[in-house]
Amino acid sequence: MEIRDKKEGDIVILEPIGRIDTNTSSEFENKIVEVMDSGVTRFVVDLKEIDYISSAGLRVFLMAIKKLKSLGGSFIICSMSDHIKEVFDISGFTPIFTITADQASGLTAA
Amino acid sequence: MSDKPSREVRNLNALLDVAKALGAEMQLDNLLPVIISKTTEVIDAERSSLFIYDEDTNEMWSKVAEGMDSKEIRFPVGVGIAGDVAKTLKTANIPDAYKDDRFNPAFDKETNYRTKSILCMPMLNNEGALVGVVQVLNKKDGSTFDDKDESLLEALSVQAGVAIQRARLLEAFVEKQRIQESLKLAADIQMGMLPKDFPAFPDRDDFDLFASIIPAKEVGGDFYDFFLIDDDHLCFVIGDVSGKGVPAALFMAVTKTHVAASTIPGIEPSDILIRANDELCKENDQGMFCTIFYGILNTKTGEVSYSNGGHNPPYLVRADGSNEQLEGTDGIALGVMDGMDFGVNTLTLGKGEAIYLYTDGVNEAMDDGGNEYSYERLEEFLKMSKGQSITEIVNGSLDDVSGFVKNAEQSDDITVLAVRYNG
Repeated sequence: MEIRDKKEGDIVILEPIGRIDTNTSSEFENKIVEVMDSGVTRFVVDLKEIDYISSAGLRVFLMAIKKLKSLGGSFIICSMSDHIKEVFDISGFTPIFTITADQASGLTAA
Repeated sequence: MSDKPSREVRNLNALLDVAKALGAEMQLDNLLPVIISKTTEVIDAERSSLFIYDEDTNEMWSKVAEGMDSKEIRFPVGVGIAGDVAKTLKTANIPDAYKDDRFNPAFDKETNYRTKSILCMPMLNNEGALVGVVQVLNKKDGSTFDDKDESLLEALSVQAGVAIQRARLLEAFVEKQRIQESLKLAADIQMGMLPKDFPAFPDRDDFDLFASIIPAKEVGGDFYDFFLIDDDHLCFVIGDVSGKGVPAALFMAVTKTHVAASTIPGIEPSDILIRANDELCKENDQGMFCTIFYGILNTKTGEVSYSNGGHNPPYLVRADGSNEQLEGTDGIALGVMDGMDFGVNTLTLGKGEAIYLYTDGVNEAMDDGGNEYSYERLEEFLKMSKGQSITEIVNGSLDDVSGFVKNAEQSDDITVLAVRYNG
């Protein structure tokens, strides 16, 4: 899967594209781990170009927020479609994450 | 007769012997001693060693050293004479080891041996990549290794390199097969944990229950369970563990066991999930989680109390096929965070009303064009199920999903459980 990344100060913005499912979740996970390993602890993940997240994908989000919370960092999710929001709502994940409407408010929250 | 032709004939015969021996031996562990003993013999040396290149760690390792016990030795590429040969891929012919900076005399001390001359050569595979390094020590007649020895060792190491490569490919193939078999076994064990004998309660006519699962090719983490807690209370559960493979199967087994073991008469569904969640958070380093729906049907009154841990909302299906999603409860997938609270909700099933439970393998099933089966299709199917038995609804539902996805590969387990109250 394609994952765009850019830096805003010490915050890394990730923009994954397509689907985060069984087949692609390890790529997404590796990307996050790679950025974390470079010392980054503040993330904004922009989901505006994601049209599907499976439970394997949710696991990566969970891994990321657990790790970053223990490091005193932040992991913000922004620009979720209704469909993606529903996946977070059903699994009960929504209250665990800071979710913002767009990237700009995500950067403020990070 | 001069010495020269006899040496050449001897060498040719020796090479032929080696080729035969190597051709007969397919297992790496057996192959290495054969290469070593043949090399020592052919080169007329006192000792030989063979170091195999480990790509993953960029190290050389050896298990065999003739005349000593077999133990594994490892050193990085670049270290010592053999390590340098591995790095440069250049033959080293050293008349006096103790005058060479790369030589490490520690081994001599340890084994009470005196290395004099060394001939050390890289072994390459067909593609010219490093397989290992072969090293012979001390010409038996006390002389040093000459050009002839070099050519002979080269011929030997070409054969040995190919034989080792072949043995490794075979080992990798066998290992892959072994992994596939153990995954298959894990899948079988996992499927074996799910109750599959139907009708499950042949002497009960106050309710009907049926469940079915179509496992994905890889080991997945879907499960269901049902059992009578006492005469009047039927417990039914469906769950979906995130991820695939043996870890998901193990997590599923642990979840199912926790839930069943803590179910006792009179307990609230929410208490079951609170306990199971705290247990699962304790043993969860992999960030795995499991969505779960846990319900208890009072078979006297039709009342269902349930708690939902982040699972897709089941449907209430009425006798006329009309249906709606059950209201949610407070809750989150199990294993995410300990100390979480779970809520409970109740509804009362009328005679002929059913609850249809499923995993996301149903609504997220995808056809070749990337279209999801979706809640809408599911609801449409349930609407058309009027007059059907529970078994027909479950099987028909799975058929409907299969008919929709057609030839697209199934990436997730698909699981359905339905229970109907007959009054």
